[in-house]
Amino acid sequence: MSCINVIEKERNVVINPLKTCQPFGAMFAVTGINKGFPIVHGSQGCSSFVRYGFARHFREPSEIAVTSLHEDAAVFGGRKNLVAGIENLAVRFKPDLIGVITTCSSEIIGDDVYGFAETARENIRKTMGEDAQKIEVVPISTPSFVESHYKGYDNSINAIVNHLARKDEPNEKVNIIPGIVNPGDVRELKHLLSMMNLEGIFLTDISDPFDAPLRPSTVTTKPFYPKGGVSVDEIRDSANSLGTVSICKYAGSGALSLEKEHNVPAEIDSPPIGLQNTDQFLRNLKKFTGHDIPDDLLNERGMLVDSMADNAARYLFGRKVVIYGDPDLTTGIARFVGELGMEPAMVCTGVKGPEFAKDMDKIAKETGCNMDVMVGQDLRAVEVYLKENPADLMIGNSDGRLISLDLGIPLIRVGFPVYDRVGYQRQPIVGYRGGLYLMDLITNTILEKYYEPTHWKLQQ
Amino acid sequence: MEPIIETFESRKKHMCIKGEGISLPVCDKASLPGTVTQRTCVYGGARIVLMPITDSIHLVHGPIGCAACTWDIRGSKSSRGDLYKKGCSTDLKEKDIVFGGEKKLFETVIELNKIYHPGAIFVYATCVSGIIGDDIKAVCKKSEEITGCRVIPVQSEGYQDHNKTKGHWIGGDALLDYVIGTREPEKTTPFDINIVGEFNVAGDLWGIKPLIEEMGINIISTLTGDSHVDEIAQAHRAKLNIVQCQKSSNYVAKKMEKKYGIPFIKVNFFGLEQTVNSLRDIANFFKDPDMMEKTEKIIRSGLKEVEHKTDEYKKRLDGKTVALYVGGNKAWSLVRAFEELGMDVMMSGTKNGIKEDYERIKETVKDGTIIVDDANSTELARLLKKYRPNLLISGAKEKYISLKLGIPFCDFNHDRISAFAGFKGFESFAKEVDASVSSPVFELTRKGLGN
Repeated sequence: MSCINVIEKERNVVINPLKTCQPFGAMFAVTGINKGFPIVHGSQGCSSFVRYGFARHFREPSEIAVTSLHEDAAVFGGRKNLVAGIENLAVRFKPDLIGVITTCSSEIIGDDVYGFAETARENIRKTMGEDAQKIEVVPISTPSFVESHYKGYDNSINAIVNHLARKDEPNEKVNIIPGIVNPGDVRELKHLLSMMNLEGIFLTDISDPFDAPLRPSTVTTKPFYPKGGVSVDEIRDSANSLGTVSICKYAGSGALSLEKEHNVPAEIDSPPIGLQNTDQFLRNLKKFTGHDIPDDLLNERGMLVDSMADNAARYLFGRKVVIYGDPDLTTGIARFVGELGMEPAMVCTGVKGPEFAKDMDKIAKETGCNMDVMVGQDLRAVEVYLKENPADLMIGNSDGRLISLDLGIPLIRVGFPVYDRVGYQRQPIVGYRGGLYLMDLITNTILEKYYEPTHWKLQQ
Repeated sequence: MEPIIETFESRKKHMCIKGEGISLPVCDKASLPGTVTQRTCVYGGARIVLMPITDSIHLVHGPIGCAACTWDIRGSKSSRGDLYKKGCSTDLKEKDIVFGGEKKLFETVIELNKIYHPGAIFVYATCVSGIIGDDIKAVCKKSEEITGCRVIPVQSEGYQDHNKTKGHWIGGDALLDYVIGTREPEKTTPFDINIVGEFNVAGDLWGIKPLIEEMGINIISTLTGDSHVDEIAQAHRAKLNIVQCQKSSNYVAKKMEKKYGIPFIKVNFFGLEQTVNSLRDIANFFKDPDMMEKTEKIIRSGLKEVEHKTDEYKKRLDGKTVALYVGGNKAWSLVRAFEELGMDVMMSGTKNGIKEDYERIKETVKDGTIIVDDANSTELARLLKKYRPNLLISGAKEKYISLKLGIPFCDFNHDRISAFAGFKGFESFAKEVDASVSSPVFELTRKGLGN
C-alpha cells in the first residue's frame, strides 16, 4: 500500500528559505490591478527588496511605494508617514486603487491603518475634489511574522474583494483566483476561458503588468501604469459572477467571502497543471456556467495525451523526481509527473498548510508510489534529503541551482523565482498546452542527461 | 529658475546642474513617504558590507522576509567555499513577538554552529528584533561562550535611518568591536596593508590583488571581499589601509586610524588613469625605491597589456552620453573611466549621498552635469525621458525602468558578471559598455511598424 512519509523539520533555523513574508504576496496581488498602486507601510527595505526580486524574475520595472518608516515612527507611530504617503501617492499618480500593505513593524507598533487611511481619504477629498472620489483605499493587513507570502496573497485578495464587491445584475462571468503564478499561466487560463466562450474576472491579473510590451509609444512616454490588470470595476462586479474558481487551495478566502456575502458559489481546487487537474478545472467552469467544453479544447487535450503516449512510457517511467516550492504549484506538478509514470519521490514546500499532506496522500495512492513529504521546510532539507536519496530530476525554482550543480541532478525551473534563465515567466505550465510545454522540457532534459548522445540515427 | 524636471516642491532642491547657481543638491533627508524610493533599509546596508566574508554564516534575526529577499543577492565572489551565500533566518513568529525571540536565536546559533562550524556567525538585528527589544548582544555573548565560535551582533535594525550608509557603518562597527585586533599575524612585513571597501563583486579584487602583491606588498586582509574572518582579525597590524569604496568604508578606515594609528589613502581601480594613480599613491606612501621601480614596471606592462584592446570600443563610444545613478561611490569613481572611453557623463546621482559625497561629485564632473539626490522611480524616468542619455549605469531596480524607455543599461551593481577593476578590468568594462550602447536593439525600440 503506497503511503506518504511526512518528514518533520527538526531545527529552528531556516536555511535557504522556500517562502517569504506576507507583504510579498500583497505587493504581488495589488500589482495585478489596473491603475492599482501598492504602498507598503514599513521600512524602505520591505518594498525595495521585493521590487528587486520582482525585477529579477519578471524582468520588468515594479512600482511599489513605501511610507519609509524610521526610528521616530517606531516610537511615536507611523500615522504621519502613512497619511502623507497616501496623499502623495494619490496626488502624484491618481490611481484607481491604493493597497495599503502593513508589515511586521507597523503591525507591532499597532498603527491604526484603517483609521489613518480614512484620514488620508478625507484629506485628499479636500485637496483633489472630484478626482479623489474614485480612488479606493484598501487596507491590507499582512503581519510578516504570521505564516508566509501565501497568506499575504490570500489576505489581499480577500481584503480587496470585501472592500469592492457589490451586488448588482448577474454578469454571466466567472471569477478566477490564480494564485502566485506567472504571466504565461494567466494568459493560458484566459485562453481556456475564451475557448469555452467565457469571460473571466481575474482576482487579480498580473499577466500584463509583469510582462508589458515595449513599443515606440512607451519609449517616449512611459506611462505611470502598465497596461492591463483587472479593473476596479471588474472587481466590484465579481459579486455578480456565476461562480469563483480558486486554483490555489492556499488562497481561497476571497472565494469564500464572495460565496458568503454575495452567494457566488466557490470551488477551491488544485491548479490545472497536468491532464486530470486541467480536466477538473474545465469541469468546474462547466459546472458554474453550463458552457460545454468545445471540440477544439478536446483536441488540445488530445495533443497532450498523444504526446504522453509517445514519450512518457519510453523515457520517463520510474524516474525519481524531487519537487520543491510553493504548495499549490508542487501539488499540481506532483500529480502531473505521476501521470507521466515518474515517481514524485519527495515533495517539499516551505509553507505550512493542513491541505498539503492530504493532497500528497491522494497523489501517492493515485500513483502507487511511496512519497516523502516535507511541509514548512527549506532548501537545506531538500539538499540533505537528496544526498541520502538520489533522484533523477529536480523540479523547482532557481534557488536550487547550486544543489543541482553539486549533485549533478538536472533541474527543471518552475515557480518563483527563476532568474538564471530567460522566458520562464512567459511560458505557461497550466492547461493542456502548458502540460505539453512542461512535459517536453522534462523529456528533453532527461534525454540530454541520461541518454547516449552518440546513439545511432534511430529515435532514442 | 526652471526646475530640471517636474516634481514635488520639496524635491526640487535635490537636483541641480553644476555651474548653474547652486551646484550642490539638498541631500541626506528622509525620502518622501508615498513615493517609490530607490533606497533600502539600514539592515540592507549592513548586510552588503559583511556578506562577502566567505567563511561566515550570516544569520538574520527577524521574520523570514528579511532573509528570504536578501540571501545570495550580492555577486561577491569567493575563492574558498560558499558558506556566506546561505540564507539563514530565525523566522520570527507571533509567539516570538509576544514572548521575545532570544531563546529561539540562541538555539538557532547553536544549530548553525553544529551544522557548519563557520569562521563566525554574524547575527543581524531587524526592525522586529529592535522593536520587541531582543538583547542580541547578550545572546551572542552567551552562545559564543558555549560554541567557541565567534558570534557577532550587528545592530542593524532596518528603520534606524533613511540612509543605508548608516548600515555600512554598523557593519563596520561590528568588525571594529568584535573582530579586528583579536588575532596576531604569524609574520609581519614592512609593507602590510588592508584593502578596505573592496567587496570582490564579479571578482574585482582579483584584478587588483596581483598588482599589489607584485609590488612587494603583503595584503593582511580585505574588508570584506573574498575574506575570512581570521584575516580581518589581524587587520590592526597593517601599516596602511587603502580604501576603494569610500562611500561605505571611509568610516572604518577613519576609525582604524584613530584606534590603531593606521593611515589610509583613497584609491580607485576603475579606469586606467585611476589604476595607475592608485598604484603610484600606494608606492609613494611606502617610499621604497625598489617598490617604486617595480610599480612603474607593473604599470608599463599593465598598460601594454590592454593597449589598443579598447580602440574599437572607443571608436563607437566616442561622444556618447552616460547617466550614473548609483549607491554612492561610483557616482565619482566611474567618471574618469567613462571619460577615458570618450564618453560624456551628463548626470551623476546617488541614492544615499551625504554632503561630502556631493562635494566629491561636484569636484569630479564637468560644468553642465546634472547632480541628483535620492531620485525616486518617477523622477528617474522623467530625467531619462527628458535627457535620453545613451547609457544608464545603475542597479537591478532601475534596470527595467531604463530598458522600458529604450535606454541602454549597464549593470554596475551586485548583478554584474564581469570584473571591471584594474587594467584587464578596464578592457571588460569597455567591452560591456560597448555591448550595451552599440547593440542594434536600441535602434529598433524607437521604430514602429510604419504604414
